[in-house]
Amino acid sequence: MIVEIAHFLSVTSAIVLSLILIFNLFFYFADSHTNQIILSNKLFNQACLLIFISFGLYVYLAAIDDFSISYIANHSNSQLPIFYKITSIWSAHEGSMFLWIVFLTIWSVLFVNYLALEHPLKRGTMLMLTLIILGFLLFLLITSNPFERILPFAALEGADINPVLQDPALAIHPPMLYLGYVGFVISFSFITAYLFHGDFNYSWEKDIKSWSLIAWIFLTIGITLGSWWAYYELGWGGYWFWDPVENVALMPWLAATAFMHSLFASSKSSVLKTWTLFLGIMIFTLSLFGAFIVRSGIIDSVHSFANDPQRGIYLLGFSGFITLISLAILAYRLPQLQSSKLIVAGSKESFLSMNNILMLTAIFSIFLGVTYPLILESLNGNKVSIGPPYYNTIFSPLILITSIFMMGSIDALWQRGMQLRKLCIAVAPTLLLSILGVYAIWHFTKIFSLIAYVGIFSGLLIIMSYALKLFSSLYTKAYFNKGSLLAHIGLGLLFFSVSMNSILSYQKNISLFVGEEQFVNASLSKFQFLDLKKTKASNHDVVAAKILVLHDNQSIYLNPEKRKYFARGQITSETAIHTSFLRDTYLTIGDQLDNGSWTFSLQINYFVKWIWFSSTLMVAGIAMTIFKKKIL
Amino acid sequence: MLKSRQKRLQKFFIILLLSVAGISLVLFSLNSKLDLFYSPTEMLASELKLGSRIKLGGMVKIGSIRRVDTDIFFIVTDFESEVPVTFRGITPDLFKEDSGVVALGYYQNGSFIAEQIFAKHDENYMPPELMPVSKKNDS
Repeated sequence: MIVEIAHFLSVTSAIVLSLILIFNLFFYFADSHTNQIILSNKLFNQACLLIFISFGLYVYLAAIDDFSISYIANHSNSQLPIFYKITSIWSAHEGSMFLWIVFLTIWSVLFVNYLALEHPLKRGTMLMLTLIILGFLLFLLITSNPFERILPFAALEGADINPVLQDPALAIHPPMLYLGYVGFVISFSFITAYLFHGDFNYSWEKDIKSWSLIAWIFLTIGITLGSWWAYYELGWGGYWFWDPVENVALMPWLAATAFMHSLFASSKSSVLKTWTLFLGIMIFTLSLFGAFIVRSGIIDSVHSFANDPQRGIYLLGFSGFITLISLAILAYRLPQLQSSKLIVAGSKESFLSMNNILMLTAIFSIFLGVTYPLILESLNGNKVSIGPPYYNTIFSPLILITSIFMMGSIDALWQRGMQLRKLCIAVAPTLLLSILGVYAIWHFTKIFSLIAYVGIFSGLLIIMSYALKLFSSLYTKAYFNKGSLLAHIGLGLLFFSVSMNSILSYQKNISLFVGEEQFVNASLSKFQFLDLKKTKASNHDVVAAKILVLHDNQSIYLNPEKRKYFARGQITSETAIHTSFLRDTYLTIGDQLDNGSWTFSLQINYFVKWIWFSSTLMVAGIAMTIFKKKIL
Repeated sequence: MLKSRQKRLQKFFIILLLSVAGISLVLFSLNSKLDLFYSPTEMLASELKLGSRIKLGGMVKIGSIRRVDTDIFFIVTDFESEVPVTFRGITPDLFKEDSGVVALGYYQNGSFIAEQIFAKHDENYMPPELMPVSKKNDS
């Protein structure tokens, strides 16, 4: 019964949303529309409330194990802890789409009510948001109904959530990511409303600034959590695989980063206005493209949901429609938006716009990497895949140029050029320190890889230039932007640690009997297989090994596990990780050989924890920018 | 008038030239970094250049897995042709007999040397790349 109520509430919400649209289309050009806006706003709030209640009921149903609902029966299990019963809702397509819509609604209802009644763009923004929520709600109800019942006989037991998904990091990874993805619907709708409205003297940046920054924070946390989870749970020892689905999250992230920057430039010196508007539209468009790629099953990926052409067509149609509307309005308003102001070479905004172009190039290259296999297959039937080498080759020069511009921009001023001589003097110490740093790394490691060294050099350039800035302003007491400093050092550290990780990390495969020990290499002088235990947990069998590793004379005990889950018979490995300042000792247990010995994969991964730390720095930096009193 | 138009045209061509150069660089890099996907039959039929990295996909033949120390030997089949595969390392948890597998590596002297082994994500999931193969099997 409850599920029918939840279903009914969602359908009602869709009807109310359509009514708002129809009502406003008819009366858009009526003279007095204050009352209409009040009415529409009320209806909009009600429609959103209906969605929240509906989702709340669904969460309750998942918690009480109502296996008469097909989706819950397929993805949950009565033996699961309550936490995973609830998170199982977003472990597959229908439920995660529902969650996506709930977040869309939360952002929308907050923003619409944040805009004052007299705000000239309130109505337009609200209508755009209504259209988008309605589009996704219909998608949910028509093509992927989570409320569907198994009739007449309910399942007695649920099929269980995939064991690799029974993990706290993965439970919060999708919500964070969705909050980020969907958050850019605010800037998208606001910009389309602004373009439609046509009063271009209005300074629109201040209204959506904080909203975009918060969405950026969620997106960054979401991506980082996913990467962290993949590292410790999947047992491959990697943190980023250039998988198509990772790429479709990275594209909006890059666009959002570019958007944040040009929003600063646009508000400081009223240049780059068209460009900023375009980027604001792009972010959400790329999110929609991502939703299409992931949910249509068109691309093979570890994340892809079951293949369903109907969903693909609907999403492609809907995203195409939304994108086309927004770009058409932008194109129509383009002549009015032309600014007479030119960007002065050597000014802060000139460096900033160069980096914007580079970020767009990066997005385009990723887009090409994602879609090229599809294009090629439809052209000549060749099946191909594009892996890390492509992205590494593309990204290393882009990163280098970006870092150089970033270095130049630190001492540059808004709207004023900089003398070349002054610029050279300003960057000389940074360059010198970075070259020394790269030389030192080469001296100690004796490993050379051009791509990795480009990354290390770029990272050092950014870190050094901001660190020098920090020291000099501590001395002169000059003002500097602390949030920006923190975020950029985070980025530099990211480049640095990713590159260091790629040259220093290595893997050894070992096979041993219980009680045996082995010499691995000079720094890993002993690998001892102490014990093997077989135990039973509530919903799985465990095989746990006890290993002693002597790593540079430090004793490390590691307990990697292999688990076999009863419900699906699925086998998973639990990696054992020991972390020290620079590196992780990362051990997975493999299969038992016919002769009774066990295989292990031992990885020494350098600077991985630094990667998570650097994205924490970026998030902290942006958070500081939000809470700074004078944002613009 | 004419002069400004000429200038504009000049600018346009410069931008065009730069973008073409950029895009062709990207495409060039793309083409040398592609991993072509083959089924065993397709791979044996095609004339591969020695040392070209490809992806080989199919099913793990029943009873073909053999482990020696940390090396693993098995046969990938599409129920028409078979290719022996060698891999050094730990296979993914979902790697098992009679289920889908994708190996990334090189074909040399009649056997496939895999650098990486990918298995299916979950038991219900089948890579689209393998769909035609498994359908053939069903029919």
